[in-house]
Amino acid sequence: MKFLQAALTGMLLGGLHALMAAGLSLSWGVLRIINLTHFGLILLGAYLTFQIASSWHIDPILTLVVTVPVLFAAGALLQWGFDRLAVTELNSLLLSFGLLIIMVQAVSNLWTADFRQMAIDVNPYATGSLSVGRLVFPSTTLIAFALSVLLIGAGHQALQRTFIGRALRAFAMDRTVAAAFGIDHRRISILLAGIAGGSAAVAGMLFALSTALTPFTAFEWFGIVFAVVILGGIGNVVGTLLAGLLVGALSSLASVIHSPATEPFVVFSLIVVALLVRPQGLFARAGGH
Amino acid sequence: MRTRPLCAILIAAALMAGAATGCEKKSATGSQPAAEPGGAAASAKPIVIGSTLSLSGAFAATGQIHKIAGEEFLDRLNQAGGLLGRKVVWTVRDDESDQAKVATLYEQLISQDKVDLLMGPYATPNILSAMAVAERHGYVLPQHTSVLAPLMKYPCQFPGWSFGFTPNEFVPGQLFDAMASLPRPPKKIAILTNQNGSTDFVSYGAGDNKKGFVSIARERGLEVVAEIKYPPGASTSWAPLATQVRDAKPDLVINSGLGIDPVNLLQAMAQLDYSPPLMFSLFPAPGPLIKLGPAADRFLSATIFEPDQAILDKLGPAATEIVKDFKRRATEAKLAYTAPETQAVASWNAWDILVSGVKAAGSVDNKAICDALHRQGADTTFSGHLTFDPAHNNFWPPTTSGLTQIQDGHWVSVWPAERAAAPIKPPPG
Amino acid sequence: MRAGRSAFATGLWAFPLAAAGLAALSLYRESLGLPVAYLSLLTLVLVWTTQAASWNILSGFSGYFSFGQAAYVGTGAYATAVLYGRHGVSFYLTLLVAAGLCAVLALAIGGLAFRLRSLRGEIFALLTLAVPFILGALARTSRAIDGGQGVPLPVPSFPAQIGLFQDFLYLVGLGVAAGAVWTAFAIAHSRFGWALAAIRDAEPVAEGLGVATFRYKLLALVASAVIGGVGGSVFALYIGFVTVESVFNLNFPLFVIVMSVLGGRTHWLGPVIGAVLVVLLQNRLASSHFESFQLIVLGAILAVLVAVAPDGLTTEVRRRPWPVLGALSGTTLILWLARAPGQPLDWILVGMLVAAVVAVWPGRRRRALSIASAEPAAVAPSSPRPAASLPPASDPAAPPLAPAAPHRAPAAPANPAVLVDCRKVARYFGGVHALEDVTLRIHEGEIVGLVGPNGSGKTTLCSLLSGSLRPTRGHILVAGHDTRALAPHRVAHAGIARTYQIPRPFASMTVRDNVALAVMFGRVRRRLTQARARAEQHLEFVGLGHLAGALPSTLNLHQRQLLEIARALATEPKVLLLDEALAGLNPAEIDVAVEVVRRVHRAGTAIVIVEHLLRVVNQLATRVVVLDRGTVLADGEPRAVMSDPAVIRAYLGRSGARA
Repeated sequence: MKFLQAALTGMLLGGLHALMAAGLSLSWGVLRIINLTHFGLILLGAYLTFQIASSWHIDPILTLVVTVPVLFAAGALLQWGFDRLAVTELNSLLLSFGLLIIMVQAVSNLWTADFRQMAIDVNPYATGSLSVGRLVFPSTTLIAFALSVLLIGAGHQALQRTFIGRALRAFAMDRTVAAAFGIDHRRISILLAGIAGGSAAVAGMLFALSTALTPFTAFEWFGIVFAVVILGGIGNVVGTLLAGLLVGALSSLASVIHSPATEPFVVFSLIVVALLVRPQGLFARAGGH
Repeated sequence: MRTRPLCAILIAAALMAGAATGCEKKSATGSQPAAEPGGAAASAKPIVIGSTLSLSGAFAATGQIHKIAGEEFLDRLNQAGGLLGRKVVWTVRDDESDQAKVATLYEQLISQDKVDLLMGPYATPNILSAMAVAERHGYVLPQHTSVLAPLMKYPCQFPGWSFGFTPNEFVPGQLFDAMASLPRPPKKIAILTNQNGSTDFVSYGAGDNKKGFVSIARERGLEVVAEIKYPPGASTSWAPLATQVRDAKPDLVINSGLGIDPVNLLQAMAQLDYSPPLMFSLFPAPGPLIKLGPAADRFLSATIFEPDQAILDKLGPAATEIVKDFKRRATEAKLAYTAPETQAVASWNAWDILVSGVKAAGSVDNKAICDALHRQGADTTFSGHLTFDPAHNNFWPPTTSGLTQIQDGHWVSVWPAERAAAPIKPPPG
Repeated sequence: MRAGRSAFATGLWAFPLAAAGLAALSLYRESLGLPVAYLSLLTLVLVWTTQAASWNILSGFSGYFSFGQAAYVGTGAYATAVLYGRHGVSFYLTLLVAAGLCAVLALAIGGLAFRLRSLRGEIFALLTLAVPFILGALARTSRAIDGGQGVPLPVPSFPAQIGLFQDFLYLVGLGVAAGAVWTAFAIAHSRFGWALAAIRDAEPVAEGLGVATFRYKLLALVASAVIGGVGGSVFALYIGFVTVESVFNLNFPLFVIVMSVLGGRTHWLGPVIGAVLVVLLQNRLASSHFESFQLIVLGAILAVLVAVAPDGLTTEVRRRPWPVLGALSGTTLILWLARAPGQPLDWILVGMLVAAVVAVWPGRRRRALSIASAEPAAVAPSSPRPAASLPPASDPAAPPLAPAAPHRAPAAPANPAVLVDCRKVARYFGGVHALEDVTLRIHEGEIVGLVGPNGSGKTTLCSLLSGSLRPTRGHILVAGHDTRALAPHRVAHAGIARTYQIPRPFASMTVRDNVALAVMFGRVRRRLTQARARAEQHLEFVGLGHLAGALPSTLNLHQRQLLEIARALATEPKVLLLDEALAGLNPAEIDVAVEVVRRVHRAGTAIVIVEHLLRVVNQLATRVVVLDRGTVLADGEPRAVMSDPAVIRAYLGRSGARA
C-alpha cells in the first residue's frame, strides 16, 4: 500500500517537473536554444507569487494573473535578444548561464538569500490534502499535477491543431523551408519563448505553494529537469510529461523501498539504461528532430 | 555580429572592471559603513580582521545572519573605543559557499591584505578549509558554527558554539533527559538524518565513537520505529518520508537536520493530515517554522540562546540592547526572521572570544592571543565565561545549551528547568 | 590548429621552459618576493586549467559535449581522500589509483555510449550528466567511501627544500596541469587530433574516409577522464576536506564549459586562457567593492564575452596576436607605472579585458572567418572570389586538363577482378523496402552508371556499398570481406570511397587539410608529414590546386564537389562512388567534372557514378545499372539498357526522362 501511495504521490509531483521541463524542451527543440534562463524565470515567478500574495493577501493561484503576462514578456524579450545575437546551441547554453547568474543574484538582492515562505494564512494549500480511501494526496501536488496536465495537454493540442502550432512544428523540422512558406521565424520564436515564460510563471507559483524559497535553489533543479527533458525527447511536450511522471514515480518508490539517499542513484541509473536502449528518448517519436 | 553598439558594451565592461578594481582602495575596506569613532578614537592604524562568509550560493540564507551580527558587534566595539585603543575594521569576502574559494581567499587575506586577525566562515566544510590555512600561518581562528569537535584539531581554533567535545552524546542525552521529564515520556522514536557533516555526526557519531541519537535512544530503552537518512539539497521528496513516519506511529520525531528540512517534513505530514505528537530538529532555520503556524506548535530544537525576556533580564541591559539592535538591523536588511537566535549568538560569542583574547594578550600577536585564551578563557555576553581545553579541541562545556520550543508562535526556552522561560508543552491528550 | 611538424618541435622546448618558469615562481618565491597568496591563486588556476583541458580533449576537439566532468573530479578526490586520508596509503600512489579508476569509468561509458550508432549529442550529454549523480549517491550511501560526514585529508609529507605546503601543492598542481595541457597540445598536433577534428566536423564522412572513429573517441574520453581524475586528487588536497557536495558539484561541468568555450574549444590553448580569465575574474570580483553585485558583473561579463567571441578568444587572438599581447602588457605596464589603485592582479585583469576587447574589435583580419556551426550550406552562396577561379577549359591560367578524349578507357583487362560483390542485398527502413534483392558486381576498370528515378534506392545502395549502412538481408563483399563484419572505416580501408551529393567538407580545415586527412587515414596509412604534400598532388589532379589554402565555406558548389572527389581519391580507393556529384552544376562545370572523372578512371580506379543526367551516363559509363523502386531493372551495356522497353517505361511512365 505504501508503495502505491509513494508511486502515486511521486507521479503527481513529477507533473511539476514536467511543467518546468516542457518550456525548456520546446525552446530547445524548436528554437535550438538551451535556455537556462528558463530556471531564472521560474525562480522569478516563485518570488513574485510570494511577494504579491503576501503583500496583497490574495490567493497565490490568483497571482498568475500578474505573473504570467510579466514572464511572458520577459521570455519574449530574452528570445528577442538571443535572436539578434544569432547564437549557436552550445553558446546559447553559456550565454543563458551568464544571464541566469545575473537573475539569481538580482533575486537575492531584492529578497535576500533568507528563506521566504508564504505564511499559512496566505497559503492554505501548503498543509491541505485530499483523501481517497486510504490514499492521501497533498493539495499542492494535486494542483501541480492538474495544472501541468492541463497546460501540456493544451500545448500539445495547440501544436497539432492550430495554424501557429503547425507553423511551430514546421519551423522545428526545417527552418529554411518553413521560412520559404512565409513563416516569420522571428515572430514565431518570440511567441514560443513567451509561452515558455508563461509556463515558467505557473511552475514558479507551484513552487512557492509548496516550499520555502531561496534564490540559489535554481541551480539545484538542473539535474532532474534536464533528465526529464532528454528522457521525454527534446521538443516533445507529451513525452516530457510522461517522462516527468515516470521519473517522479520512480524517485518516490526508490525513496520508500530503500532510502532517500539512493533516489538519485536509482533514477539516474534507470535513465542511463533507458537511453542506451532507446537513445532518441523514451517517448520520442521515431525520426524526431 | 560586429556592430558598434557591441563595442560600446565591451568598453563598458572593461571600464566596469577597471572601476571595480579602482574602487577597491586598499585592502582594508570591507562592507562596513565606517562607525563613528568614540571618545578614545583610533589615532593609530586600525586593526583589520579578515574573513569570508557565504553571502551567495547554497549557504547564503544563514551567512547573512553572521554578517549582520559581525557588523553590529564591531560598531559597538568601535563606539566603545575600539580595541587596544585602535579602531577595528572587518574585511569580509563572499566565498560563494564554495570550499575551493575559501582557501584562496583566506590565503589572500593573510598574505596579501595582511590582516591582523581572522574570523571563521560559515558552515563546517568551509570552516575546515579555513582552519587549515589559519594553522599554516599561525593565526587564531574563532569560528561560530562547526560542532564537529573531533575534526577541529587545530589548537588555536576556538568555537563560539559548543555542545561539548562529544555533541553526539550531549545533544541526544539532553533531549532524552528532557523527554523523560514529561508526564508521559515518549517511547517510540522516529529518527530522520540529513546526511551532512554535523547532523550525521550527531545521529551516528564518527570514528571510534559511534554514539548518537540512534544508539543512545536504544540505550535508554526507547524503540526506534523509523530510521531514515536523506541527502542534503532541494531534491528530496518529502511525501514518502512523511508517509513512513506516519505509518510508524512514533511518539517523538527527531530530525537531525538543518535549514528547511523540518519545515518540509512538517508540511508533508500536515498534508497527510498527520501531526506528530512531538518533534525535534537540530539546526532548523527559525523563521520558516514559525510561518507554518499551528502545524509547528510544540516544535523543539537545540539552542544556546533564545531572546526571552527572562533570560535577557538575567544577562543584563547590554544584552537587551544588543538584541534590539540586531532586530533593527535585520529588519533593515529585510531578513525574514529578525530575532537573534543561536546562529547570531554563536557569531557574537566568536567575536567576544577574539576580543577577550586580544585584551588578555595586550596585542594582536596571534600566538600570544592563543596562549592567553588557553590560560584565561574568554568572557562572552551571552554564554558567560568560557574555558578552552586543548584536549577537548577547545570545545567548552555546554553550560548554556538547552532546548527551545515553539509556543504560540514564538521560540521559548524550555530546558533545563533552571534556565527555562516556560515548561515544555507536552503533546495534547 | 593543425600546424605541422615545426609547431610540435617548438612545443617540445617551449613547454618545459614555460613549466620551469612557473615552477621557479615557487622555488624562488622568497627571493622574488612573491606573496604566498599568489601561489594559492595560481594553484586554483592550475586546478581549473587541468579540468578545462580535460574537458576540451574530448568535448572541444571531438564535439561530443560531456556534462560529467564532476564524475572524474569526484572519483579522483574520493580515491585520494579515502585511500590517503583515511587509510594512509601514499598520496602519490592514490594519483595512480585515481587515474586507473577514471580510465575504467571512461571505458565503461564510452564502450556503451559510442557503440550506439544512433547516439546523438544531447543523449551523450545526458548520459554523462547522469554519472556524477550516480557516483555521488554511491559515495553518500556507502560508509566505506563517505557516508555523509565528509573525509578530511592530512597534509602529506614532502621534501623540506620545497618550502611550505602551499609550495608543494602548487608544484603538484603545476605538474598535473602541465601534463594536461601538454597532452592536449600533443593530441592536437598528431593524427589523433586530426581524427578528432574530422569527427567533430562530420563524423560519418570521417568514417567513410577511414578514420576509426570509435577508437579515437574512446581514447579521447579515457584521456579526458584520467586527466580529470588526477586533477581531482589534487583538488582534494587543495580543499583538505572532501564532501559529496564539494566534488560531485555541477559547478565543475558548467564552469569548465564556460572556460573552454570562452577560451576557444578547438584549440589546445583555449582552456588555459579561459581558466586564467575566469578564475582571476571571480577572484578579483570577490575582493572588489561590488559585493552584492559581484555575481551580476560576472554574469554580465560572461554573457558579453560569449556573445562577441562565439568561437572563443584564442581564435580571435590568433588573428591579431601582436596587438593583443601588446594591449595586455601595455595596459598592465601603464597601470603599474601610474601606481593605479588596486593590486597587481587587478591590473593584470584589466589588461586581459582590454586585450579581449582588442581581440574582438571588428576590422581587418589576417584570415577568413570559419563558420561557427557545422551545418554545410545547402547551396553555396555566391563565391567571394571572381569567376576566374573556376578552372574552365577556356581559362589559360587554370591548370590545363587533358582535352576531351573518347570515354573508352584503355582496353579493360581480360578477366577483370571483382571488386564489389552484392548478393541479394535488401535494405528496409521500418516498413519501407528501399532495396530488394539487388545483385550486382563491380569489376576492376569499370565505370558503372547507376541510374533510376527518384526514390529508386540509388543513394541507399551507395551507403550500403560504402559501409555506412548494413544490409538488412544479403551480403556485400568488398575485396572478399563481408561488410557486415566490418566497421565503416574498415570498409574504406578495403578500398571503397564515396562522395556526397551535398558536399560535406570538414568546415574547420582548409581545402588542403581536408584532403590531407583522407591521405592520412585512407587505405594506405600515411604519416602526417607527407600528408599535405600528397594532398596537394590530389588537388592538382582535380584542378583545385590553386585553392589549397582556402576554407571550404568560400568555395562554390562546383569547387566543393571537386573537393569531395579529391578527398575521396586521397584514400586511394579501388572503387569510387560518386553520388550525384554533378547535381546543381551548369553545363560548363559538368564538362569539367566529367573530364575529372575520366582522369580518375584512367588512373586505374573503378567508378560507380549515380546520376540523373543520362547524357553524362552515356558519355562515361562502360556499363549501366538501372534501379527502379529498389530492384535492379537492367544491367548491361549502355545502349542496350537505354533502349530496353522496361527502362523506358520506368522513366517516361513516371517522372519523365531528362535529356
